[in-house]
Amino acid sequence: MAGARASRIVLAPRLRPLAGLALAALLAQGLALALGSVSLAPGELLAVLSGDGEPLHRTLVLELRLPRALAAFGTGALLALAGALMQILLRNPLADPYVLGLSGGASVAALAAMLAGLGAALVSGAAFVGALASTLIVFGLAHGGGSWTPTRLLLTGVVMAAGWGALITFLLAVSPVERLPGMLYWLMGDLAYASTPWPVLAVAAASLMVMLPLGRTLNVLARGGLQAAALGVAVRPLEWTLYLLASLLTAVAVTTAGSVGFVGLMVPHMLRLRLGNDQRLILPASLLAGGTLLTLADTLARTLIAPQQLPVGVITALLGVPTFLYLLHRSRR
Amino acid sequence: MITGRRLLSPLAALALWLGMTGLVPATATAEVCVTDDADREVCLAASARRIVALSPGVTELLFAAGAGDRVVGAVSFSDYPPAAAELPRVGSYDRLDLEALLALEPDLVVVWAGGNPREQIERLPGLGLPVFFSDVGDVAAIATSLERFGALAGTDKAAGTAAAELRSEVATLRGRYAEADPVPVFYQVWEQPLMTVNGEHWISQALSLCGGENLFAEEAPLVPRIAVEAVLARDPEVIITGGMGKADSTWLEAWRDFPEMTAVRRDNLFFVDPDLVQRATPRLVEGTRALCAHLETARGRR
Amino acid sequence: MTGLETRGLVIDVPGRSAGRPLDLGITPGQRWGVLGPNGAGKTTLLHTLAGLRPPRAGEIHLDGRPLARLRRRELARRLGVVFQERHDDFPATVRETALIGRHPFLAPWQQEGPEDLARAEAALARLELSHLAARELATLSGGERQRVSLATVLTQSPRFWLADEPTNHLDLHHQVAVMDLLAEQASQGRGLVMCLHDLNLAARWCSHVLLLYPDGEACWGPAEAMLAPAALERLYDQPLTCVEVDGAPVFVPRR
Repeated sequence: MAGARASRIVLAPRLRPLAGLALAALLAQGLALALGSVSLAPGELLAVLSGDGEPLHRTLVLELRLPRALAAFGTGALLALAGALMQILLRNPLADPYVLGLSGGASVAALAAMLAGLGAALVSGAAFVGALASTLIVFGLAHGGGSWTPTRLLLTGVVMAAGWGALITFLLAVSPVERLPGMLYWLMGDLAYASTPWPVLAVAAASLMVMLPLGRTLNVLARGGLQAAALGVAVRPLEWTLYLLASLLTAVAVTTAGSVGFVGLMVPHMLRLRLGNDQRLILPASLLAGGTLLTLADTLARTLIAPQQLPVGVITALLGVPTFLYLLHRSRR
Repeated sequence: MITGRRLLSPLAALALWLGMTGLVPATATAEVCVTDDADREVCLAASARRIVALSPGVTELLFAAGAGDRVVGAVSFSDYPPAAAELPRVGSYDRLDLEALLALEPDLVVVWAGGNPREQIERLPGLGLPVFFSDVGDVAAIATSLERFGALAGTDKAAGTAAAELRSEVATLRGRYAEADPVPVFYQVWEQPLMTVNGEHWISQALSLCGGENLFAEEAPLVPRIAVEAVLARDPEVIITGGMGKADSTWLEAWRDFPEMTAVRRDNLFFVDPDLVQRATPRLVEGTRALCAHLETARGRR
Repeated sequence: MTGLETRGLVIDVPGRSAGRPLDLGITPGQRWGVLGPNGAGKTTLLHTLAGLRPPRAGEIHLDGRPLARLRRRELARRLGVVFQERHDDFPATVRETALIGRHPFLAPWQQEGPEDLARAEAALARLELSHLAARELATLSGGERQRVSLATVLTQSPRFWLADEPTNHLDLHHQVAVMDLLAEQASQGRGLVMCLHDLNLAARWCSHVLLLYPDGEACWGPAEAMLAPAALERLYDQPLTCVEVDGAPVFVPRR
């Protein structure tokens, strides 16, 4: 036991859980391609995937299901990664990507764009700008007197989030009735907004590349800022990097799918319960598990009561909460 | 507007063949173009045979335009005429199931411009589907919508008749009430939150046709949310509501808490079938008649 | 010169006037004890010496170079800190915790190798923690957790140890074991600065003592000169009885 644990820290066996998660991610993609309100026989699906098949089936699988499944994966991956980073930044396992008011800023801007009657692309653009604006406001305010601590950052963010919440309610109250359903779906998080998966996938891959070499440093930062500094970590620049990166990831995710809840908080937390807190394992594992969870959740959202469509945020919570509670109950940590 | 791939679909090929053999009128194969409510030119190489309607109101309009047998898909709550209730569903108006929509292989999708989610609608042209944006705001637009739907579906004659009938009935009503005394009206759309309509809404226009004065005509939003106080302050002579369904009078009874209001004192609390007035379809004429009858009752109680 | 040297150092304790500037020279092999009542600034001094907070005035030099000019990583290779407070918000095992002592010596992309692991294991063995190596920190007692912190710095193996209450939470046996370990480090040519509450531990194990008064006043020098009952009574505002046991002074508070 002790020996196995020892080698886990040092050596390749990190790859085993990752391989398992990668397999799960692939299966989830397969499931997402196979399931929909139109049922395809496995043979028909294979025909499409091998570059063959009926035109209707090709459109269904290649133009509707595939981009959406990939976007779901990318969004989930970004949210889980952002959650893992935010938790390290704030040294708080209960932080999530939205804890600093980022989704609030994005939501206010997106709802305002919808209220102005702008198209989907502009709504997404507004969400991105709103998320970044919120990030800068929170960081600027928390920075204020010159010194900021994770607690001060958290407090500023939470208060900003409450402010954004009030603005959201205000926008909903003054919006024309016929625009409300779209706004509510956006607030609940919905992948019908994802027109192309490439931005989320590219950002997810790039940020993993950036963060992996920092993995051990993040492990040290998790022990507290002073401890990390005493072990040679340049804490302040690292925290800046973490904050801006996590914000960017969340902004891209929110831009793609609205504010999908739960994934960013629970996925890293669940993985820590099973795999410990080595960021070199947790970060890629979060990416894979977050992507898988959202892909499965979106597949259910599309098919559960088809042709009626559910917002994916509902499913992530319904799937994730029992899983999380079960893991928490079973763990001895 | 129409892509090559769609032209090759078996049904289109069949239509082409039928056209060539003279089994359907030649107009069915000629290109038709109309302007939709988003000011876009919508052209079909042949009249539409597989139409999907993305709101209950649009479905009703298509049936009224004689194109009912060409509608192959609709959204939840598309319940009129009864035949529409049997149609395959492609989700609800506020969240569409694009997959189910595509699977119906439509050759025309009629979109509710104000109600369907834009991010989903914007994808339809890319998937090779011709789209007609419908945004019906008043009786005149109902009539022209019937004509345009008739043109697209090749049911010009039926649609023309329906549109002409609609216009003449409205003209009759307008003539009858041209001299009627004005009646201050509050039209209640919803109770929690309390909502009404402004002057641009067809319900308000239907009311003014027979002398009704919408007390909230000047509000900016089409369907403003207002306070009970505002209603009390303007003291309507008549309160009309569609309630939540057939002959539901609980909302009206609630106003009896304010006996000092003229409408309550004179018992001018009226119900109209919401399906007749809250959808912009030819049935609005029937609804208008009901509204006008209530206003007449109120005039009789002065 | 080699050593940790302060020149006119005034630590930044909020709301306190400057006090006496410190001119300390801590050379390898010395065992410094910092004594003072609560709030005198012992921890602040330790953090300032570690470069973790800026001084109000003065400079600190490590081996002749100003501390402020050294990169954190370079500093961490020469100077280790045992903290009094720790943040165990996230799950971690005892072994993982000892192993982070190797962080300053590894490149970002580098994995811990067998040699790093061997150092960590040796440090754990030295602190009698080997049997707990796979345990979660959260399941340890306060004293065990304290020894894990010491094991981390032992793995780091710096030339200067700054230890804030190294015997905190420890039972008598482990107090002595830890002080012996620290003395052994000093005898191997490492410099030690320890904040201590226990006068008797200071009297027995320290070669030098710094007395920090709450008003910022300070005096320092060889232990035998500094541990005068009168000075200590003023330091703690507490009458003391002094006896000699095994050649070292023992201080007992008077009732």
